[in-house]
Amino acid sequence: MASLLQVSGLCKAFGDVRAVNDVSFEVRAGEIYGLLGPNGAGKTTAISMISGLLRPDAGKVTVDGADFWSAPARAQKIMGVVPQEVALYDELSGRENLEFWGRLAGLPAVGVRDRAGEVLEALSLADRARDAVKHYSGGMKRRINIGCALMHRPKLLLLDEPTVGIDPQARANILEFVRKLGAEGTAILYTTHYLEEAETLCGRIGIIDHGQLLAEGTLPELQKRLGGDQLFVLEGDLQQAKPDDWPEFHERFRIIQKLDRQLVVSAHNSRHPSECLRDLLELPVRVENVTLKRPSLNDVFLQLTGRELRE
Amino acid sequence: MLWTLLIKDLNRARHNPWPYLINLALPLCITALIGLVFGPSTRGGGLGTIKFAVVDDDDSVLSSLLRGAMNQGEFKKHLEARFLERESALKQINDNKISALLIIPKGFTRDYLAGDQSVALELIKNPAQSVYPAILEELLQVAVAGLNAVARNLHADLPEWKEIIEKEGRPDMKRMADLLTRVGNRFEQAEHYLFPPLLGYETTTQKKAKEEGPALNIFAFLLPGMAAMFLLFLADHAIRDLYREVKARTLDRFRTLHDRLLPFVISKVMLAMAVVVLGSLVMFGGGVLIFGIHWERPLGMAAVILAYGLFAAGGMASIAALARNERRANAVNSVLVMCLSFVGGSFFPARQLPPVFRDHLSPLMPNYWFIESLRALQSGSGEMTWVWAALKLLVLGLALILAASWIFQRALAKGLRA
Repeated sequence: MASLLQVSGLCKAFGDVRAVNDVSFEVRAGEIYGLLGPNGAGKTTAISMISGLLRPDAGKVTVDGADFWSAPARAQKIMGVVPQEVALYDELSGRENLEFWGRLAGLPAVGVRDRAGEVLEALSLADRARDAVKHYSGGMKRRINIGCALMHRPKLLLLDEPTVGIDPQARANILEFVRKLGAEGTAILYTTHYLEEAETLCGRIGIIDHGQLLAEGTLPELQKRLGGDQLFVLEGDLQQAKPDDWPEFHERFRIIQKLDRQLVVSAHNSRHPSECLRDLLELPVRVENVTLKRPSLNDVFLQLTGRELRE
Repeated sequence: MLWTLLIKDLNRARHNPWPYLINLALPLCITALIGLVFGPSTRGGGLGTIKFAVVDDDDSVLSSLLRGAMNQGEFKKHLEARFLERESALKQINDNKISALLIIPKGFTRDYLAGDQSVALELIKNPAQSVYPAILEELLQVAVAGLNAVARNLHADLPEWKEIIEKEGRPDMKRMADLLTRVGNRFEQAEHYLFPPLLGYETTTQKKAKEEGPALNIFAFLLPGMAAMFLLFLADHAIRDLYREVKARTLDRFRTLHDRLLPFVISKVMLAMAVVVLGSLVMFGGGVLIFGIHWERPLGMAAVILAYGLFAAGGMASIAALARNERRANAVNSVLVMCLSFVGGSFFPARQLPPVFRDHLSPLMPNYWFIESLRALQSGSGEMTWVWAALKLLVLGLALILAASWIFQRALAKGLRA
C-alpha cells in the first residue's frame, strides 16, 4: 500500500517545553493509524504540524510523496482535518456548514449540494439537515464536524480525538463510520487517549508520551514487546517484597507493574504458562491469588512509561 | 472564495440578527427622542397648530380685545383659538380635540383696571398631551407678566381707563387720546429699559427648498451624527467576528484548507462594509419613512456612505488587530468610538464644541467629514465638500484595511487566541 503520510523527525518546542520530540511514523492508504497517548502527550501538536497549523522546528511532513511546506495547497487538497473541538458555525444548519466547508475545499457550486446530501446520508443526519447546529446533540455535532472534513473526498484524513465528550452510542456510530472510511481506502491518522478505540479501530498504533513516540506497531506486535501473549497477576502482601533479591527471577520474568498488593509480570522466552505458574508460586512471598490475562495496550503503556494511561 | 466567506457571514447574521438590529434601532430611537424633545414635530419641520379653547366669562371690552388679538398675525399662524362655552370646551378636552382651555373669569377687566386686588386667568391643560399644553402655559405666563408690567407702570391711569371703558354709549375719544399720549410719553422715557439693544434673529426659507421639497428638518440634521456613531459600532461588531472565529476554531479549520489568511481578513472587512451599507440603508431609509426626511442628494450620500463604510471597516479592523483579543478589542473600540463621536460631532454639532475641539480637533476626525458632508449635501451648500470628504475617507479606509490585514496575519501566525 502506498504511503500517503510520512512524518520524520518532527520536533516542536514551546519555550522550554518540548511538545513533540523526534516523532516519525507513516500512514498508508486504507490504513487507520492510531496515535495513542494521554492528554498533553503531544498528539494535537503533532497533528497541528501535519495539517499546517504549526510550523515544525525540525523534521519533515510528506503528503502523498511531496513535502508539505513546499506545496501546502497541494497537500491541503488531499487532506481532510477534523479538529478536536467542534469547529462549526452554530447558527448555520448542518447542511449549510457542510456546503460552506465543501465550497472552501474547492468543490464547485453545482456539486456541493449533492455531496452534502451524500455526507448527510452517510452520517445518518439527513433528517436533521436543516436544523441549526446549535440544536444538535454532542454526538451529532461531532458527526457533522467529521463530515465537513470529508466533503472534498480527502485521500488522507486526520482525526484529532473525534469522540471526546460524547456518549457510548454516539462514539460507536463514529467509530463504525471511520472504520468504513478506512475500508474504502482512506488513509486515516486517528489520535485518541481511549485504549479501547485504539485497540478495536486501528491497524497500527503509535504510543506517544511527553512528545516522544515510545513504540509503534500492530496490537499483537505491541503485545509481544511484553514477552508473549500472557501476563501473570500476583495478589498478596507484597509491600516488603524485593524481587531483586529473588534468585533467577529477572532471568525468567519481566516486571510490568509492582504495587503493595499486586505484581504484574510477563514471562521471558515463551515458556509454558504452567511452568511459569509453578515458578511464581515458589517465590519467597505469600501469594493469595494468581491470574493469567492477555496483555492490553494499557499494559504496554505501563511497561513503556511506568504508569497507566488512565492515570 | 471571498464571496463564499461573505455569504456565510451574512447567513450567520441572518440567523442571529439581534446584535445588528440593536445597533440599527438605537440611532433611530435616539434621533426620535432628541427630535421630539427639542424639535418641532415629527413631520415637515414646522410647528404644528396648537388648538385651544377660550371661555370668556368676562365678556368685556378688554377680553374682546384679547380675543381679537388671538385671531391675528403670527398668533393665528401657530395657535387656533376656539371661543366656546365652558361645557363644550371641557368636552373637547375630554375628546382630546384641544390642548388646553383658557378661562377669562367674570369681572376680570374691572378688577384688573381697579388695580386693588389680584386677578387670575385660569388654564386647564389637556392631561393626554404633554408638549402643546406646556407651550400654552409658557405663553400664558408671558402674557400675565406683560399685563402685570402694564398694571405696574400705568397704575395711576387705570381708574381713568376704567371710567372710559365702563361709560355707557360711545367712549370719550378726546380723553382716550390724552391717555394714550400720556402712555406714549411714559414708554418713551422708559425706552432704554423696555427695549434694550438685544440680539435678534430672523428666519428665512430658501426658495429652492420650497420648490424641491420640505425644508431641512431637525431629524435630517441629527440623524447623520447618530448614524456616524452607530455605523462604527456596527462595523466594530462585524470585525470582531474574526475573534469569534478564532475562538470557535473555525479559523483554524480554514487554515487547514488554505495557507493564506488574507482572504479571510478581507472577507471580514467586506462583511463590515456590507453591514455598514445595509445599516445606512435602514437608518437613512428609516429617516424617510419615520421622520419624513427628504434626502436632497441621494447619490452623493451613497458615495459618502460607501467611503465611510470602508473607513469604518478598516478603522475598527486595525484597532481589533492591535488589541489581539476580543475582550480588549471590544473595550478599546467602544471607548474610541465614543471619543470619536464626541469630537466628531455626533452628540453635539461640532461648531458648538469648545474652540480647541471645534477649530483644531473636530476637522481632523473622519466621522466629522462624514457628518458635515451629509449636512452640506442636505442643505445644498458646499458642492465639493462631499467629494473631498468621500475621497479622504476612501484613502484612509484602504490604508487602514491593508494595515489591519498585515497586523492580523502577523498576530495569527504568532498564535493569536481569542
